[in-house]
Amino acid sequence: MNNRRIFLNILSLYLLLYLAAWPLLAAVGCDLNDPDRDVKRLFPESTGYKTIYVSIAQRGGENLLRQIEQRLGDSFKGLFETIDVPYTMYQIFRGKELIGYIHGVNQKGQYGGIQVFLALDLEGDIRAFYFQKLTSQYAKSLRDASFGQQFIGLNLKDFYHYDIVSGQTAGQSRVVLIKNPAPEAEPDFRATLRATKKNLILVDEFLLGNKYLKFSPKEQDHNEYLPSGL
Amino acid sequence: MNIFQVAYKNLLRKKIRSGLTLLGISLSAWVLVSLLGFNRGYEKALNKDIDNMGFQVLVTAKGCPYEAATLMLKGGTGLRYIGDSVVNTILKHPEVEKVTAMLMQAIFDPNKGESGGITAYLGIDPTTYPQMKSFLKFKQGSWFTDPEGFEAVLGYEVAELEQREAGDLTLIPEKNIELKVVGILSRTGTQDDGTIFVPIKTLQKVFGMEGKLTGVGVKVKKDANINLVEQDLYDLPDVQVVSLAQVKQTIMDLITTAKMMVFSIALIAILIAMLGVINTILMSVFERFQEIGIIKSIGAMPWDVFKLIWVETIILCLLGGVLGIAFSLGLSKVTEVLIRRLLPYTPTGSLVAVNSDIALVTMAAILGIGIVSGLYPAWRAARVRPLESIRSEGE
Repeated sequence: MNNRRIFLNILSLYLLLYLAAWPLLAAVGCDLNDPDRDVKRLFPESTGYKTIYVSIAQRGGENLLRQIEQRLGDSFKGLFETIDVPYTMYQIFRGKELIGYIHGVNQKGQYGGIQVFLALDLEGDIRAFYFQKLTSQYAKSLRDASFGQQFIGLNLKDFYHYDIVSGQTAGQSRVVLIKNPAPEAEPDFRATLRATKKNLILVDEFLLGNKYLKFSPKEQDHNEYLPSGL
Repeated sequence: MNIFQVAYKNLLRKKIRSGLTLLGISLSAWVLVSLLGFNRGYEKALNKDIDNMGFQVLVTAKGCPYEAATLMLKGGTGLRYIGDSVVNTILKHPEVEKVTAMLMQAIFDPNKGESGGITAYLGIDPTTYPQMKSFLKFKQGSWFTDPEGFEAVLGYEVAELEQREAGDLTLIPEKNIELKVVGILSRTGTQDDGTIFVPIKTLQKVFGMEGKLTGVGVKVKKDANINLVEQDLYDLPDVQVVSLAQVKQTIMDLITTAKMMVFSIALIAILIAMLGVINTILMSVFERFQEIGIIKSIGAMPWDVFKLIWVETIILCLLGGVLGIAFSLGLSKVTEVLIRRLLPYTPTGSLVAVNSDIALVTMAAILGIGIVSGLYPAWRAARVRPLESIRSEGE
């Protein structure tokens, strides 16, 4: 019996080493260029941060992907928006107290990749918005501080009313107030809004414990059929 | 019961001792196989990496950075040019098989990153470059449809960073010229992953560099003397010759030193295993002193006793060899990880390439060790005098 246990231990150790040696070919994530500098810039009161790496494949697989796509109102597309993309999430601390989050996503723009970073408070409200990378003819207008300021104070509840496919905003969402600084930049403007909505959904899924799931239009439709009192 | 069965049963009488000796031999065999496999695999992987460059010699203008990383290091400046007539001159060399013209251009993109960045383009000849780099595979799309078209083929990492797919548009900053992405290369693990390929004529037109090149890739004929070709190319005016054969030789020189050290360790391991085998069998002979005497007194000849002990040694070594080869095959991935951590440079691809030849050589070496190690204990056993040994029982 003892020999068997020793043999199993050796086998497990060997498998572990074998798996560790397997080449990693995961998709690319979206990290802050200089985390120490960027965290301090976005949260001047912070004293430290913790980095978390998550992927949809790891946290819930196909079912989670479907749920995220439903909340987004669009499907994940193409070669690079896949289930195994690792998302880098930063938890920001002041001393031992958690004070907020920073997260960025890659988004396909008209001429190149766009990286949209959001700094969020604990409620999931945007306290800062910025493009870490933006390949666009109209990058100057989009990078202007006044454009990013329009996102401050918004949260996922607002973005639920923004339809990514049509580019229309229903109801009284504050997203309607976000103005495109250059009409010719419409494709990149819409890509930015999609990236922001996706970013907020991922933060809600992975960091906020699905605080905003109940406000999702799909979820609300579902609630209408539930017996009262539930 | 034949002599092999008797020898095998004798080994089983002292299981722990035989097992430890077996382990010692198998570890030596493991080291030897892994080392020979590394010797073969490393050179193979290195050759593959060099071949993946597509050409063995690169001719550039004197002082010109010859690959994208150096260009970035110089902030996208410092490019020097040679006229495209050099292509025909090089092609006339009898030992040259193919040449391909290249033009590298870099442009500052103020919107790349937060404070801007350099974007580099490599203009290539659509008729010769794909032939020379035939190993390049496409994740999506293919090479250019028009040799003078406004098209681009992206390396995998550029495509991933720019989120481009075949059919998308990409923009040359400052020039505001759109290029249509016609192909995305599969990951290669080389600098091609970070390259934006454009037809050379298009790039020359866009940057106003008609008739100018930054480099010419040269593939020499098989069995040609690269050094001689290089010497001839040095005679061309205002060019520098970058030889990948030199790069390979430098790396191989470094690795030879490392290999010599590891071979020494392997030799020590083998000597220790050999002494272990001699010790085990000799102990076994001494323990069976009386038994050997009785065998001889009932008619066994010295040669029969010699054979019995010798066979025991050979069985031990053969089993150890087989176990060691099995270890090396099963744990080759782990060995590879260790080597990659230890060496300053390792090429892509499998570093430990164990094949049947290596396994056979190792088995032969271990068998040789067994034969040699068994000689002395077997000789001692064969010399045992029956009466003396039986009498020693009571002492």
